[in-house]
Amino acid sequence: MSNLWFFYLFFSAVLIFIGIYCLLTMHNLIRLFIAVEIISKGVSLALVATGAVKKSVLLAQSLAITYIVVEVSLVATALAIIINIYKKNKSLDVRLLSKLKG
Amino acid sequence: MVIQTLLLCGLIIFSGLAIIFKDLLKAALSLAVASLCLGIIFFRLGAPYAGVFEISVVAGLITVLFILTIALTKKEREIKEANLTRIAFPLFFILFLIIDGLVMKSLLQKVPALPSEPEAGIFGEVLWKQRTFDLVAQIGVILAGVLAVLALFRKKEDEKDE
Repeated sequence: MSNLWFFYLFFSAVLIFIGIYCLLTMHNLIRLFIAVEIISKGVSLALVATGAVKKSVLLAQSLAITYIVVEVSLVATALAIIINIYKKNKSLDVRLLSKLKG
Repeated sequence: MVIQTLLLCGLIIFSGLAIIFKDLLKAALSLAVASLCLGIIFFRLGAPYAGVFEISVVAGLITVLFILTIALTKKEREIKEANLTRIAFPLFFILFLIIDGLVMKSLLQKVPALPSEPEAGIFGEVLWKQRTFDLVAQIGVILAGVLAVLALFRKKEDEKDE
């Protein structure tokens, strides 16, 4: 049982690594949110896999559903902000955002 | 177990492709396929409701939102990512796989699995009776998201008159 748990955690950690690597190295705003999505996939995999292995999958999947709803809300808001940033700057380069006035 | 491992590998590969692809549209579609793999993994782990949500909401709705944003910002000039990041990714990835494997192998011996008892009841009882307060917060989050999007696309008063 324990072996299986660590097996899923291994893959979950790999997903989180891919997301963090992208967050640290890329400059396109949409790509950064793709990275956030990848990290959230890793987290929800860890959540459900832990529930399945510990025989409490009902609670784990209700938590996963809550997590997915929060994720959708976050992405919708973030993409709206990205469109507004694009309208203003005509670019999606995250480095331009550091040139704030004031 | 073999199918599960293949699905997990597919999940990793498509997530990796999502950051390697230069074309954003291909990256978004690759992310959708990764979500599909994750949804099937959820089904096989005995969490069908989470699987349905993952496939319909994340693979469906979020992909549509991403594609819509990419279409609305299509005229952007190319943002040059450093080539070094793409070249260095496989190296860092393999290094991380080795470290991750070693850490998990060492944890396997030391960290005992938490004791747990099998759950009783059905999914509906767990969701609506045990987690009532969370569901109220969830409704709040959805409303906050809707209001935030509305606020962000609000027009100025003089634009409305025109």
